[in-house]
Amino acid sequence: MAKRITIDPITRIEGHLRIDVEVDNNAVSNAWASCTMWRGIEKILRGRDPRDAWMYTQRFCGVCTTVHAMASVRSVEDALKLEVPLNAQYIRNLILIAHALHDHIVHFYQLSALDWLDVLQIPKADPAATSKLAESISPWTRNSRNELKAAQDRVNAVANSGQLGIFANGYWGHPAMKLSPDINLLAFSHYIQALEYQRKALQVVGILGSKTPHIQNLTVGGVGNAIDLDSQSALGMDKLEMIRSLLAEVAQFVQQVYFVDVCAVAAMYPDWFKIGSGVKNYLAVPDLPLDSKGSAYDLPGGYIRNADLAGVKGFQTAADPVFRHSVTEDVMHAYYQGEKPLHPWDGETEPAFTGWDGDQKYTWVKAPRFNGEPAQVGPLAQVLIGYSQGHVLTKKYTDMAIEKIASIGGPRATPAALHSTLGRHAARAIRACMLAELAQKHWQLLVDNIAKGDYSVHNPPVLPSHEVQGVGTHEAPRGTLSHWIVIKNEKIKNYQAVVPSTWNASPRDHAGAHGPYEASLLHTPLARPEEPLEVLRTVHSFDPCMACACHAFDPAGRKIASAKIL
Amino acid sequence: MNVLIGGMGNVLLGDDGFGPYVIHRLEAEYDFGGEVELADLGTPALDLTHRIAGRDVVILIDCIQGNEHPAGTVLAYDKAELLKVVPVQRLDPHSPAVSECLMAAEMLGATPKHLLLLGAVGGSFDPGSPLGIALRAATDKVIATVIAELKLLGVWFRKKASSGEVPIWWQVSSQEQRSATE
Repeated sequence: MAKRITIDPITRIEGHLRIDVEVDNNAVSNAWASCTMWRGIEKILRGRDPRDAWMYTQRFCGVCTTVHAMASVRSVEDALKLEVPLNAQYIRNLILIAHALHDHIVHFYQLSALDWLDVLQIPKADPAATSKLAESISPWTRNSRNELKAAQDRVNAVANSGQLGIFANGYWGHPAMKLSPDINLLAFSHYIQALEYQRKALQVVGILGSKTPHIQNLTVGGVGNAIDLDSQSALGMDKLEMIRSLLAEVAQFVQQVYFVDVCAVAAMYPDWFKIGSGVKNYLAVPDLPLDSKGSAYDLPGGYIRNADLAGVKGFQTAADPVFRHSVTEDVMHAYYQGEKPLHPWDGETEPAFTGWDGDQKYTWVKAPRFNGEPAQVGPLAQVLIGYSQGHVLTKKYTDMAIEKIASIGGPRATPAALHSTLGRHAARAIRACMLAELAQKHWQLLVDNIAKGDYSVHNPPVLPSHEVQGVGTHEAPRGTLSHWIVIKNEKIKNYQAVVPSTWNASPRDHAGAHGPYEASLLHTPLARPEEPLEVLRTVHSFDPCMACACHAFDPAGRKIASAKIL
Repeated sequence: MNVLIGGMGNVLLGDDGFGPYVIHRLEAEYDFGGEVELADLGTPALDLTHRIAGRDVVILIDCIQGNEHPAGTVLAYDKAELLKVVPVQRLDPHSPAVSECLMAAEMLGATPKHLLLLGAVGGSFDPGSPLGIALRAATDKVIATVIAELKLLGVWFRKKASSGEVPIWWQVSSQEQRSATE
């Protein structure tokens, strides 16, 4: 008899992810992914000046601010056929890279690492032995016995205080936890160090964007940064040098710590290369443009259908005609009015809430489809699409990951093993290494271009009076993001954002096809169904983001904190 | 002294824009010295940790769910209370995480010495709706509390001579906004 488990961390009023699974014989037999709050923020944009849209879209989400700003200006530039000066492309690319590096580090250490490491094992570790082990797998200089001992002391202090604090919500001692005490300690010490490096990555966004979390330097047609090499207030050598040095530090952490930790986890959990595949149609858009027109890119895009890597179709541009015309959204199982799937330019967002019903409507997330089929987006999609097209940088770090996992005692993985929960983690670490290398390249491109005497940062937009349509894409940390805009009489007539987590958290469609989260959970074995750690591992591997909505702190709702009324 | 005054909330969702609005008013109405950082934090999640870690004083202003309290009620939470909130199992890294971030800072030995969260109970969170009347009224109380707190801590500030009505950029129509900047 199947048993239903709902994971619904209802604590606040913001839109969040809910997962329902049916468990039969200790394995998942059915799954539903849903979002519990209506977004509909796009409607705010109608009637506004398209040049201002990015200021609003970057408020969609508190974490993915820059990505929504970037996709928005690109959608207007696409509609106006407006080129972007080289300096502006490089500056934008550096912001996107720094934001993505920050995001990938936060995802692995702050969200997912504790799915794989067991804090209760850490007091049993031997810091000296851990340090020796660390030296054998990474040149990182902060794996000393003293640094590891300090990390262990922090865990001991929390454990001895009687209140687990930040660790109170983990499945400690769960039978699916397999790491040795020493590996647990090593990964945990990096969890602490990660906080420093994620901050350094954000500092780069702050220097170029003038503020975080909401950057101020974008403009349709370029950026607002004044370039003057001798100035301390404009973008000059002082600031550029600071950016270079921060990016170099972050790159070292990504390549010597994050990448190695993911490989170590992969080596110790080989079964997870066989769990969590799900939807094997993959979609990614090219990003990091190398010219003002957007005809050459440093990150490849394309489409893979049904795991057929050899049959990959590459996209030539970020707004490739194939992409432009193949996306629809289906609301069969989402709380919206409407019958047939619609292209985003014709998209409607009229709510029709019914309450959760797994057979009918059960989520606020629409079901985006590519050529009528679900698609998985994210670093795994990008890595598979790059690898199968022979993209040099993707191949370099993917092959390095395969070697590293084998050298730590894991299986010799093939690119096909990447269709899995661990594959998504490995691909994210591979992508982070690529971005860390590209950060240094794009910094140099910017400096070299300025040295040629090119100080241009902006092409002024001219809004036509007739109706125009555009799509702005960005291969964001969680995957393909697209903003679709229709402009008429210099105002926004329609605006739709198809966000990465909509692709991955999509519900079933007209044909009954599961979305990627749902499909990936089917057949997952659960050691203790009442503690569904395995479900969290797979859901977390996608790096879900549902907080494109409201944020209100709710300690009172749980009757735990007491407040003073003023 | 290293002081952060941070406003949290989504400005596109009615009363949820309360925190950022208070920050805009503080910026418009007061001068602060180099020891104070005023920040519109938007809707931060686990990445709030590095914003608060290592500070002497953190004052956070947020919109909260009130349950039995009417919209506009202002509630104050101190560090000890926030550290008692037991974190829940999370599915995504981006849901709000004030208590978790405070606990993370505590584990790092970098918890702010003094922390205060001022929350105003919200009423309406409809996309695009303006900050409600009750919440606008609550800004005076919250600003007075922040200023009293700073005075108590000996932090320097000065009221600006004249500030007038503070416009909220996210509620201004695009036409007005453009003519204001031109």
